[in-house]
Amino acid sequence: MSSSPYPHRQRFDLPHAGSGRPVHRLGVIATVATFGGLLFGYDTGVVNGALEPLSQDFGLTALSEGMVVASLMIGAAFGAVFGGRVADASGRRRTILLLAGIFIIGTLGCVLAPGAEFLIGSRFVLGLAVGGASATVPVYLGEIAPSEKRGSFVTRNELMIVAGQLAAFIINAVIFNVWGHVDSIWRWMLLVALLPAIALLVGMIFQPESPRWLISKGRTEEALAVLKKVRSPERAEAEVAEVTHLASEDAKQSTGGLTDLGTRWVLRLVIIGAGLGFFQQLTGINSVMYYGTQLLTNAGLDSGVAIIGNIANGVFSLAGISLGMFLLNKLPRRVMFLTGYGLIAVFHTLIALTAVVVPPGPGQAWTVLVFLVLFVFSMQGTVGPLTWLMLSEIFPMKIRSFAMGICVFVLWIMNAVVAQFFPPLIEAMGMTATFGMFAGFAVIAFIFLYTLLPETKDKDLAEFEREFKAKYGRK
Amino acid sequence: MSVAVAVTDSPEGRTALESAVAEARALKTGLLLVNLTLHDFADEEIPRDLEVTLINRSGRRDRDPVTAVLDELADHAEVDRLVLGVRSRSRVGKVLLGSVTQRLILRSPVPVLTVRVPESAKRG
Repeated sequence: MSSSPYPHRQRFDLPHAGSGRPVHRLGVIATVATFGGLLFGYDTGVVNGALEPLSQDFGLTALSEGMVVASLMIGAAFGAVFGGRVADASGRRRTILLLAGIFIIGTLGCVLAPGAEFLIGSRFVLGLAVGGASATVPVYLGEIAPSEKRGSFVTRNELMIVAGQLAAFIINAVIFNVWGHVDSIWRWMLLVALLPAIALLVGMIFQPESPRWLISKGRTEEALAVLKKVRSPERAEAEVAEVTHLASEDAKQSTGGLTDLGTRWVLRLVIIGAGLGFFQQLTGINSVMYYGTQLLTNAGLDSGVAIIGNIANGVFSLAGISLGMFLLNKLPRRVMFLTGYGLIAVFHTLIALTAVVVPPGPGQAWTVLVFLVLFVFSMQGTVGPLTWLMLSEIFPMKIRSFAMGICVFVLWIMNAVVAQFFPPLIEAMGMTATFGMFAGFAVIAFIFLYTLLPETKDKDLAEFEREFKAKYGRK
Repeated sequence: MSVAVAVTDSPEGRTALESAVAEARALKTGLLLVNLTLHDFADEEIPRDLEVTLINRSGRRDRDPVTAVLDELADHAEVDRLVLGVRSRSRVGKVLLGSVTQRLILRSPVPVLTVRVPESAKRG
């Protein structure tokens, strides 16, 4: 989900990547691997819509509803940390195959769950795969793509994540409105995820290992064989040198660890990074992505209409992300972050006020939906993708892997906290107080970033590091 | 004979480096410079008149700086002195983070020379 995991690299003069067969082969690889992103999106988005029939079936309370949703995020936090380790040790391809297997087992576990406890456990297992995919698929794509296309390959995966959520919303709406009378209809909604999981498993069997990983293990011959499949022959030969260089830089990236946090300016950067992940989730974006349908039902829509209205959230999310990707290269990071959090605070306040000013009923629900999609659009157009980009570029190279691990873990845990406590909060305090609280967090985020966040756009990493160190290095 | 120094990214690290350079000059020996910072040293940071062996940390194997230094000392038998920078630490600081210097002092195979940052340099 970072738009470029490897910025600021030494440039190599390389012959053209080729045309015809190798390009076609790369397209196939990207399509197959991004099923990982699609599954990520579908599995996180499907509860939005499945939750209501599920909740009736198992007689869930607001708290246990939260647990059903949040267990996946807890799994994802661990999956993201350990997925990277496994991918380094046994290869990207084998890790993705393993993850596809876990996706299948987790999905079946959820679909066949006899009770809420079993469902929560299965969602945790599914979360391991989701987190693992979030850490492994972009790396695999970035490593197998030619350097000039790296950014667009990784972007494609990010779009697939949001597209997966949107697909889940649409499929839920169709299933619910056509077969809503069928018992345990939610099981069918979850079952749909089996198809892309099988596609990922079967597809990956025929895809090659990442050449960069092979070279990092000293398997240069095999790496060259892979490169010959996905590049023109001249380019393949030429690229071995580049990839060897990149593999040695990867080794450097995992140098730093806990001890290096003793250096004050490094600690400061890690606190900023963890804050980015923390506040990105406290925007409440995922409370809309997981509980959008329920919010609309609460505000006064029929279930069948609410589940359709919820599709708007998915559409605006996808549109916002597309705009955000475009803006990343245009606006200074600080401006984009501060504008983003400013807009988020405004729309949350408007949602909170709607619940007070407009009387309950369809009128309130539609007004809420308008402000919800505006919030989703401005969040996904700024803070959403920008957070990931920032995390990939603020850390000194030698501690990047460790520092990003901490920040991504914080992000997933906060995702879980929001998912867990949103339904009980809505039940206990109502919509006005809950969204007022989100608005408050957005204001705190604004102040945090305004005071601490350094600008990184158009700066080369070494230059940024020198400046930051000169400013905060002294004890 | 040779002098080794572990340089961290802090005023203590810089003081240790200065003292080690002075020591190596006085003893007319080489200098084994173990870089524990997160950047690679630029040429101008290394004294020209000495025979300097520069070691950079790299990769997960070198994640712990103490092991990195001890490994180098084991590989360079000619080293007979290790220079380290020290500072006083608050109680809270001691609880939160371990001390690289303390672990090195206790585990170094060669005598250790510790130097403190002069008061004047702290403000500079």
